[in-house]
Amino acid sequence: MIEVLALNKRYGDFTAVRELSFAVQPGEVLGLVGPNGAGKTTTLRCLAGIIPANGGTVTIGGVNLAQDPVAAKRLLAFFPDEPRLFDYLTVRQHLAFVARIYGVTDHEALAGPLLEELEIADKADQLPGELSRGMKQKLAIACGLLHSPRVIFFDEPLTGLDPLGIRRMKDSIRQRAAGGAAIVLSSHLLHLLEEVCSHVLILKQGTKIAHGTLADVSAQFANGESGVSLEEVFIRATGGSES
Amino acid sequence: MIQALLYLRLTSLKNHLVSTVRRMRHPRYLVGAIAGAAYFWFFFLRRVFLVSPGPTGAGVPALDAGAAAIPALMLFGMFTLFALFRLGAAWLAPSDRPGVAFTEAEIAFLFPAPVSRRTLIHFKLLSSQLTILLSSVLLTFLTGRGRFLGGNPLIHAVGWWVILSTLNLHTIGAAFTVTRLTEGGLSKARRQAVVTGLILLLIAAAGYAVWITAPAFPDEEGSPAALVQYAASVTNTGLLHWLLLPIKVVMGPFLAPDWREFFLALGPALLLLAAHYVWVLRSETSFEEASIAQAEKRSRLLAAARAGNFRLARGPARARREPFVLSPAGGRPELAFLWKNLLASPAFLSSRNFLIGAVLIAAGTNWLQHGDEGRRAALAAVAGMALFASIYILLLGPQLARQDLRGDLTHADILKTYPLQGWQVMLGEMLTPMAILTALLWLAILAAALALGPMPRFAGGLSPGVRSTVALCLAVIAPPLCLLQLMIPNAATLLFPSWAQTTRTRGGIDVMGQRMIFVAGQLVVILAALLPAAVLGVLLWFAAHWVLGGAGSTAVATAGVLGVVGLEIGLGLWWLGRRFDKFDLSGETVK
Repeated sequence: MIEVLALNKRYGDFTAVRELSFAVQPGEVLGLVGPNGAGKTTTLRCLAGIIPANGGTVTIGGVNLAQDPVAAKRLLAFFPDEPRLFDYLTVRQHLAFVARIYGVTDHEALAGPLLEELEIADKADQLPGELSRGMKQKLAIACGLLHSPRVIFFDEPLTGLDPLGIRRMKDSIRQRAAGGAAIVLSSHLLHLLEEVCSHVLILKQGTKIAHGTLADVSAQFANGESGVSLEEVFIRATGGSES
Repeated sequence: MIQALLYLRLTSLKNHLVSTVRRMRHPRYLVGAIAGAAYFWFFFLRRVFLVSPGPTGAGVPALDAGAAAIPALMLFGMFTLFALFRLGAAWLAPSDRPGVAFTEAEIAFLFPAPVSRRTLIHFKLLSSQLTILLSSVLLTFLTGRGRFLGGNPLIHAVGWWVILSTLNLHTIGAAFTVTRLTEGGLSKARRQAVVTGLILLLIAAAGYAVWITAPAFPDEEGSPAALVQYAASVTNTGLLHWLLLPIKVVMGPFLAPDWREFFLALGPALLLLAAHYVWVLRSETSFEEASIAQAEKRSRLLAAARAGNFRLARGPARARREPFVLSPAGGRPELAFLWKNLLASPAFLSSRNFLIGAVLIAAGTNWLQHGDEGRRAALAAVAGMALFASIYILLLGPQLARQDLRGDLTHADILKTYPLQGWQVMLGEMLTPMAILTALLWLAILAAALALGPMPRFAGGLSPGVRSTVALCLAVIAPPLCLLQLMIPNAATLLFPSWAQTTRTRGGIDVMGQRMIFVAGQLVVILAALLPAAVLGVLLWFAAHWVLGGAGSTAVATAGVLGVVGLEIGLGLWWLGRRFDKFDLSGETVK
C-alpha cells in the first residue's frame, strides 16, 4: 500500500532524510520513532505530498506520488500534530468543504455516523473556536476520514489529548488498521507503539537505524538479553542522544 | 528590587535591538530597513536637520492672536479633541481593564516573586517611559515638518514627553479609580451614565459660557488673524478657559516658541504630572486579576495574528449563513475555496449589501440629476470620487482583501494534502478577494457611468450608447484585472512567506520598508503586465473605430485586452501552481 524507496530530503546543505526505504501493507501500523530532529515529521510530510522530496520514490496504493500527486492524494489522509481547522467554518461546514474537495457525493450519509462515532454530532453548528482541544482533534479526524482513505499518516497523534481522548485515538487507529488501512504514525510515546503499532521504524539523523516488527527490532537490540523494554531498545538504537 | 526589574527591561531592550540588527544579515530585512530608513530620512529627518528654520510661531500657551498662531491653534484644537476622547475612554472603559498591563512572562516571574505592588507599578511606569521616550522622538520628527510652530526639536521632544507621560499616568489612574469604584459596588452602567452626564454637562456649560461671553464673530471679510483673535478670546475667557486649562498646561511646553516661554510653561506642566504620579501611587487597587486576563487575551490575539488570522485577532468568530449552497460533487473544487473564504469574510461584504449599494447609487445619482444646478454640479464630484475609488480598489485593494493564500498560510500543510493541482488551489484561494474587489469596482463603475451621463461637457463624446458600452466593457474587464492584481501578492507569499507574515504581525523600520517594497512591487508588476494589453487595446480601438464607431471599437478593444490579460492569467496560474506544488513552509523559518 505504501512503498518508499531511497527517499531523500534536503534543506540546503542539511539532509533531513537520507536514503529511506520501507513498505507498509494494508492493516499494518508503522510507528516512526527517533530523537528530536531525526526526520520523522519531514518523512511524513514527504509521504503525504506536502513537501517535495529531493530524491527517491513514494508509491501510495500503486500510484507514484511524484508522477500523479492528485490520484495519490485521493487515497491518503494526513493528520498533523495540531488540528489545523478553518476558524470560520462550523463542524458541518468543514465536512461540506472537504466533501467538495474530495468529491464525496454521499457525504451527508457518511458524515452523520462519523460525527456520532466521534461524539461531536451535537457540535455540528459550532465553530472551532468554541470547541475544546479534543473536539478539534475529533473534527480534524472526521474531515480526514470522510473520503475513506486507504493510507493514513498521523504526526504525534496524542498531542494535547486527555486520557479518554488518548484511549479513543488508539482505538480509532486500531479500528482503521483492522479495516484495511495502511497507517504510519510518528510519536515519542513508546507505549503508543507497543499498544498500537505492528511495525516500528527507528530514525536517527534522517537515517534508518532499524525497521521491522516490534519483536524483530527488540531482538535486534536486546543483545541476547530477555525482557528488554522498548525504552531500552530505543536508547540503545539511537545511542541515547540526539546527535 | 527595582534594579533587577530595570535589568530585565534594559537587557530585553538590548537583546531586541541586537536581534534586530542581526536580522539585517538576511537580505530581505536589510533591504526593508534601507527602504524604511530612506523613507524616514527624506520625509521627516531631512527636514529637521537640513531645512533652515521657518518663521517663528506664536506662543500658544496664552493663544496669542496672529496669523502665525493658526497652526498652533489648529494643533491645540486637534490635541484637545484627542485628549478629551482619550480621557473619556479611560473613564468609560470596562472595569476589567487593568491600569497596568503585564506580559504573560512578567506575570509568571514577577507576581509570585517577593516584589511589592508599588515596585511593580514603578516597574511598569519605568517600562512605559521607554515607549514614551521613543514616541516623543518620533513625534518630534513628525511635527518637525511644521517648523512654523516655533521652538526647536528639543523643546518639542520634551513637550511631547510631558504630554504623553501625563496622558499615560491619567489613563492608569483612571483605570485604578474605576476598578476601586467597581469593587465598592458602583455598577458599570451607573458609572458610565455618571461620566457621560458629566461630560455632557461640561460641554453644555462651556457652550453656554461661549454664548454669553464670546465676542461677535468676525465678518466674512475677516483676516486669518481676526479669526485667531476670535478663537483666542473665546478659549481664554470665562468658563472655557478654566475647562481647557489642564490641556493648556500640558501642551504649554510643547507649544513654547522659545526657551524662556518653555521654562515658564514647564513648571506648571511638571506639577500636574507630579500630581498624576501621586494619584497613581496612592491608588490602592488590585490589578493582578485584570492583568492576567488581559495578558492571556493579548497572547491569544497575537497568536491569531501571527497565524495570519487578522479577523479573529479583532474579536471572536461567529458562525455565518453560507453564501451559497455547496453541493458535495459535480462542481469545480475551486468554488469550495470561494465558499470557504466568503464565510471568513466580514459579514457586511454580502451580495445583498452590494445590491443595496447599487440601488442607492442609482437612486442618488438620479436625485442629483433632477435637481437644481448645484445638485447637478455634485455629479462631477461623484464621478471623480468613483474614478478615484476605482483606481484605489484596483491598485491597493489586493493589499487589503487578503482572503486568499495569505490568510491560509498556516493551513498550507492541509491544503497540500488535497487531491488538487497546485493551480486549482491558487485559483480557488484568489476567487474570494477577486469577487469582493470586482463587486466594489462594479459599484464604482456604475456610479461613474450614471454620474457622467448628463454632464454637458461629455454630451458630445459620451452618448448613452457609448457610455453603456464603456461601462459594460469595464465591468467585463474588472474580474480578470482583479485576479491579475491578486496574483502578485500571492506570488510574493509563495516566494517570501515569512515576509508575508512579518509585515502583518511585527513593527520596526525594516518591516515598514518591506511593506513599502511590497506595494511598490505590486504597482510596477501590474503596470508591466497591463502595458501589452493597453497597447493592443489602443491599437484595436483605433483600427476598429473607422468601421465600427465608438461603441463597437470599444468592444473590440475590450476583447483584445481580455485576450492578453487572460493569457497572462493563464501563465501566472501555471507558474503559481508549480510554485505551490514546491512550496515548503518548513524551509522558510519565520524570523
